[in-house]
Amino acid sequence: MTQETKKISLILSSDNHEKVQLAGMISSVAAVTGIEVLVFVSMGAVKKFKKGISDDERFSGGSFSKILREKKVPPYIDLFRQGKEFGGVRMFACPMALEVLGWTKDDLEDNLFDEVAGMTKFLIEADGSQLLNL
Amino acid sequence: MLDLKVSKTVDARGAFCPGPLMELIGSMKTEPVGSVIEILSSDHGSAKDIPEWIGKVGHEYIGTEQKEGYWSIVVKKAK
Repeated sequence: MTQETKKISLILSSDNHEKVQLAGMISSVAAVTGIEVLVFVSMGAVKKFKKGISDDERFSGGSFSKILREKKVPPYIDLFRQGKEFGGVRMFACPMALEVLGWTKDDLEDNLFDEVAGMTKFLIEADGSQLLNL
Repeated sequence: MLDLKVSKTVDARGAFCPGPLMELIGSMKTEPVGSVIEILSSDHGSAKDIPEWIGKVGHEYIGTEQKEGYWSIVVKKAK
């Protein structure tokens, strides 16, 4: 018996651009395919969502990132935004990761994060879904 | 396939996955039900993915034509 995937919960913890790009791709494509997506952005990944960072900072961290940048793949911020606009992507920012950096939600890209919510809330919300970690 | 009148062409050539799919979705939102939309994509992955998406969400897949360096995918907005 196969179970049709209806919800994916994605923990994004890496500050490696390739993984953040992939998370954006999974989120946006899942969202437009009727799959509910919950993204928990924690650890070094929060740095990739800081408001006003340069493209050098956005495309850093992966050996594949250079070619992705050259080929002008869709910016990951745009993918997450499209996921929110076209479908059910919700994004949580990890309060611990923000706190160690001395940041607040206002330091992150606008109109992306639904809330700053911790692991407990995330695990409750993720209950019953497929869990991925990038 | 080409007896159908295409009401809108989306040129997503040069865009990489999932760009073409997202462009198609954005365009479909503004078109009325029954519209026949053609999307041009140079990205092979997207050319394969778009019919999959069409099937999954319930629109009508008309067909795909391979051209010089790109694909023309024709779909119909069913709802």
